[in-house]
Amino acid sequence: MAEQRGTVGGPVLTEWFGRANLHKLEVYEKLGGYEGLRKVVTGMSAAQVIDEVKASGLRGRGGADFPTATKWSFVPKDHPGPKYIVVNADESEPGSAKDRYLMENSPHALIEGAAIATFAIGGHQAWIYIRGEYDLPYEKLRDAIAEAHAKGHLGDHPFGTDYPLDIRLYRGHGAYICGEETALLESLEGKRAQPRSRPPFPAIKGAWGQPTAVNNVETLSTVPWIIRHGGAEYAKRGTEKAKGTRMVTVSGDVQKPGNYEIEIGVTYRHIIEELAGGPFPGRKVKVFWPGGSSAKVLPGSMLDTSTDLDGLKALGTMGGSGGIIVMDDSHCVVKGAARLLRFYAHESCGKCTPCRVGSNWAVRTYERILANEGSQIELALLDRVQQGLQGGRCLCGLGDAAGWVIQSTMNHFRNEYEEHCLHHTCSVEGALIHA
Amino acid sequence: MSALSSHLLEEIKALPAKYPQPRSAVMPALDLAQEELGHLTPEAMSEVAVALQLDPGYVEGVATFYTLFHLEPVGKHRFYVCTNLSCMLRGAEDVVDRLKAAIGVREPGEVSKDGLFSYEEVECLGACEYAPVVRLDHRYEVDLTRGKIDSLVNDRRLVRSHVKTGVRSSLDTTPEPPRKKPVRRTKKSG
Amino acid sequence: MPDVKMVNVTIDGHVVTVPDGTLVVEAAKLVGIEIPVFCYHHKLDPVGACRMCLVEISPGPPVAQAGCIRPVADGMVVKTQSAMAVQARADILEFELVNHPLDCPVCDKGGECPLQDFTFRHGYPTSRIDGPRLHFQKPIPLSPNIALDRERCVLCYRCTRYYDEVAWEQELTVAERGVHSVIASQFDQPLTSNFSGNIIDLCPVGALTSRLWRFESRPWDLHHTPSVCSKCAVGCNVTLWQRRGQLVRVTSRENDDIDEGWICDRGRFDYTDVNDPARLRVPAVHGSKTTWAVALNTVADGIKGKGSKLGISLPQDLTNEEAFLFRRLLDGPLRGAKVKMHGRTALPAPSGEQLMIKDIDDARVIIIVASDTENDVPIVNLRVKKAVSKRGAKLIVIHPDAVDLDRHRETVHIRNQPGEAAAEVRKLADHELLHEPGGPVAILYGDGRGSEDAAGLVAACTELAAKVGAKLMPLYRGTNERGSLELGVAGWDSLDGVEALLSWGPPPTAGVPASVKFHAVWDHLPRPEHQNASVVLPATSFAERQGSYTNLEGRVQFLRPAVDAEAPLKESWDVLCELAAALGLPLDYVGIFPIQREAAKAFPALAALAQPPSPEPEPVPVLMGPARP
Repeated sequence: MAEQRGTVGGPVLTEWFGRANLHKLEVYEKLGGYEGLRKVVTGMSAAQVIDEVKASGLRGRGGADFPTATKWSFVPKDHPGPKYIVVNADESEPGSAKDRYLMENSPHALIEGAAIATFAIGGHQAWIYIRGEYDLPYEKLRDAIAEAHAKGHLGDHPFGTDYPLDIRLYRGHGAYICGEETALLESLEGKRAQPRSRPPFPAIKGAWGQPTAVNNVETLSTVPWIIRHGGAEYAKRGTEKAKGTRMVTVSGDVQKPGNYEIEIGVTYRHIIEELAGGPFPGRKVKVFWPGGSSAKVLPGSMLDTSTDLDGLKALGTMGGSGGIIVMDDSHCVVKGAARLLRFYAHESCGKCTPCRVGSNWAVRTYERILANEGSQIELALLDRVQQGLQGGRCLCGLGDAAGWVIQSTMNHFRNEYEEHCLHHTCSVEGALIHA
Repeated sequence: MSALSSHLLEEIKALPAKYPQPRSAVMPALDLAQEELGHLTPEAMSEVAVALQLDPGYVEGVATFYTLFHLEPVGKHRFYVCTNLSCMLRGAEDVVDRLKAAIGVREPGEVSKDGLFSYEEVECLGACEYAPVVRLDHRYEVDLTRGKIDSLVNDRRLVRSHVKTGVRSSLDTTPEPPRKKPVRRTKKSG
Repeated sequence: MPDVKMVNVTIDGHVVTVPDGTLVVEAAKLVGIEIPVFCYHHKLDPVGACRMCLVEISPGPPVAQAGCIRPVADGMVVKTQSAMAVQARADILEFELVNHPLDCPVCDKGGECPLQDFTFRHGYPTSRIDGPRLHFQKPIPLSPNIALDRERCVLCYRCTRYYDEVAWEQELTVAERGVHSVIASQFDQPLTSNFSGNIIDLCPVGALTSRLWRFESRPWDLHHTPSVCSKCAVGCNVTLWQRRGQLVRVTSRENDDIDEGWICDRGRFDYTDVNDPARLRVPAVHGSKTTWAVALNTVADGIKGKGSKLGISLPQDLTNEEAFLFRRLLDGPLRGAKVKMHGRTALPAPSGEQLMIKDIDDARVIIIVASDTENDVPIVNLRVKKAVSKRGAKLIVIHPDAVDLDRHRETVHIRNQPGEAAAEVRKLADHELLHEPGGPVAILYGDGRGSEDAAGLVAACTELAAKVGAKLMPLYRGTNERGSLELGVAGWDSLDGVEALLSWGPPPTAGVPASVKFHAVWDHLPRPEHQNASVVLPATSFAERQGSYTNLEGRVQFLRPAVDAEAPLKESWDVLCELAAALGLPLDYVGIFPIQREAAKAFPALAALAQPPSPEPEPVPVLMGPARP
């Protein structure tokens, strides 16, 4: 998939995208790559790196939206043993493909960013946990790391300094839950990936019991640019509180699905209708997931919503991992929600009761509804289950996310649910296909 | 007679040293075992456990958690078909139907008669802009259409007829060995 | 001990001051508030999986929070009865019941089941659960002793966590994922651990049950008696459960000084002999049933005046009271007899300050010499594991063979030639781990099951202890070996060449010597070795016996009869008194208490016998009443 679909030549992450062989060290470096890492290891202190990133206002792009510099500053400075940066490259959120896109096209940006982050927390080793299905990104990263080692940018003396830096890859084996940072750490330690209870937080006791900061691919890929151009320059982009640019993946019922870098604050209408070409002729956007399947849906009438992260929070939803799934008026929301619940049930790690049992209960309820066996009881049940999945009932966010799918689709499209449950018809897709 | 080759076991024994703690070697080791055997048998998992100085039960627990580890026989070429929302909106159900017909199986996990193919419905593969998508032989095949499915299958059948792969041929007339019934627990969604 | 900061927490209006870091569930217990839990167990690391313990905590986000993983903080206000908390717990219980088979009427756990109790106290009053439930094959035999019912399982992971954290084994694990997750033994093979039975006690529902007790009786029909295990020298506290004169169940009875609530499988499952229909109940002489008087006179005639030609084989679970009386016989009419005790070590009585079992917790370095602790002293073995994996102690093992403690990768295992353990111990003084141990050092030594020269080994260990400032613990194997030693009944003699044999308990391990002409047996089960016995006396089993044991650390504990010794069975002290009379030594006691008082006076080590403690602690009142939504 060397073809770059949908890039608009945004200024930060995709600055150099479109150049031939950007994944090669030679090309990346000629454009100015590794300048950030050089600057950091040869002339900056860890505190200065953190301050620079703090000035940029960069927040985690994996979905949690937590300030990156703050996360790094939680890692104790005086810890005697090893400290780790763990890169969360387990992108598995339905609708999100931007990390894959970044790693395939510019693996060195991630490597450089991870190395800078490792320096910033005073560590020497970064681990990239990449999902097992990502074969091409894995190969690209593997080759890029080898190139960086060969060139001396990584290893015992990066850029001639005595500050060893190393990056290693670890492949996942198929578990959405590994996107949750503590589950990822469990998996990295060779265990069943079940989220850990906190405290202790990973910054204190993370990978192999050592202080660890877990960062997303996009977050770290942004860091070299920030170091090169300065945090203040980055902070000029975006909204007042949510700075910078971010990647979004647009998929589903649009004419030009793709990965796009946007400045935070543009509207969803801009992304869906202008960048992604809008719905197919004669169709209109019925509903969209603004930030991966785990973000509460917004109806087509809210296309003018801003991508401002805090604004989305105020609406009860989130920018999440940037996966925008668009559904037009030819598709049934109930069926879509049922499919997502199947996903959450399948990916539930099984640790907490509500998520393990509740998501499966919801799936069985949806199955009855789609088999035309629904009634008022099923409606009430779904309502009941979604409440039981939220509000701190679960250890991690997976259960909440499953609940939000039910809650938000029922909230905005109760008519479709009622049609299915009470009248056993679907005016959207006509004849029902059993789930 | 061990299930895994001796050189592979040596390779597995060398894995723990690569990680800060030896348990991290479990998944890479299972990966190697699966690469060699196609799927993970109890014997193979036990041998991995012994090589890594772990209890077999621990290895079994890990292997059954992750969907990329196969505990039942699989085809030589495995289609991991994404059926999650983005792909579903763009016709993943059709893709599955077409694929089932093309390789001649009725359900996920079933191996085609010639041993060449099996398929699984998987969750989001992270290539939503190319929906519908399938992962096949460590590669993503994107923007799938019925025609594309047919050619993916036919290309591999063709290769099969030229190269002796050791897999049973559909022209082979010797009776098929009885299929082992799954011992317990099969993975299924929801 | 570093000073621990104390913090004030308000729980349902009650202010409690607890050490910083205490978990909310534990703090609540101190004011008598029970926050319901499934996955949380005070002896296991908290995981926060079942979510049963949801409460409202402020300051904090406006959602329910798990009290089992949340440490308290100063000024924290916990509400267990707020609308949010009450609804959250009811939600969890409803989820727990979605796939639960509700087969309480035929479930062994029914009546002592937290899932039942919590549903009653915290659940929704009406059921909204619809449709089919998940089904699994049931019950699955996990081992000859344990059955697994996956439909009842609430996946609290107590069993697998116990296996991993406490027993250091992973033969029981969780397989699969999500709602299909199941508890499974590895590749469906039977469990082999000597510690497997504890998972039955840990299971908060009826998913793990004892196959020995399965469908035997309802828990509320049982009488329970707090007692002490009689299988080895550790002296784990147990509860014996009796119904209609049958011993139907043995469970652990937590004593933090000794067992921390764990017992081994021998202690838990090795009790069915008590109910054996073939039990000996009537005395017999030359195969004909007779009265106690006739039988005891025949015994007395057979063993009287034999001097060293008399051999006596003793059981290892001889009580202190029995040993005390027996000592009187040895000092009188049976003077000179050869005495051999079953299954005991060759270790002498300890001298100097001893290591107590609970001290192992704080050791920084633990040295285990010549003992297969897994089988010799199982629950001490678990205590060592706890010190190593939960408290970071270093472990050195000196043993010729692979042992269970090798499971920890950092265990330093020195493989000695049999008989050479003492030499290895002497070399240890320079071991790098002992240079700066950073805290107490513990030395635990056995006798290599006879392969080591006990005196030499004890000398070497004592020397090492003096050098590195360690405390010593002799690992006796015989249940009351230490008590008997202190009472002067050693039992190390050879029985070779004796002409008369009194065989008390199981037959001598080396068999009945060919030289024996008169053979009297005092046992609770018939055995092939009894074939040519002149006299067979029926003995009580551990479940019918009363008295006391001294465990390997010197602690005196009381054995209480769970099953009545119904006539013609006689209690052993009574039999010993009558035998003494028949031998011409009047021992006249009206019950066991005068014997205990006399023994306490005569032997300082048995001073505790003067005042048997109250068997059970006062129950803590629970303040939290029913709170249904």
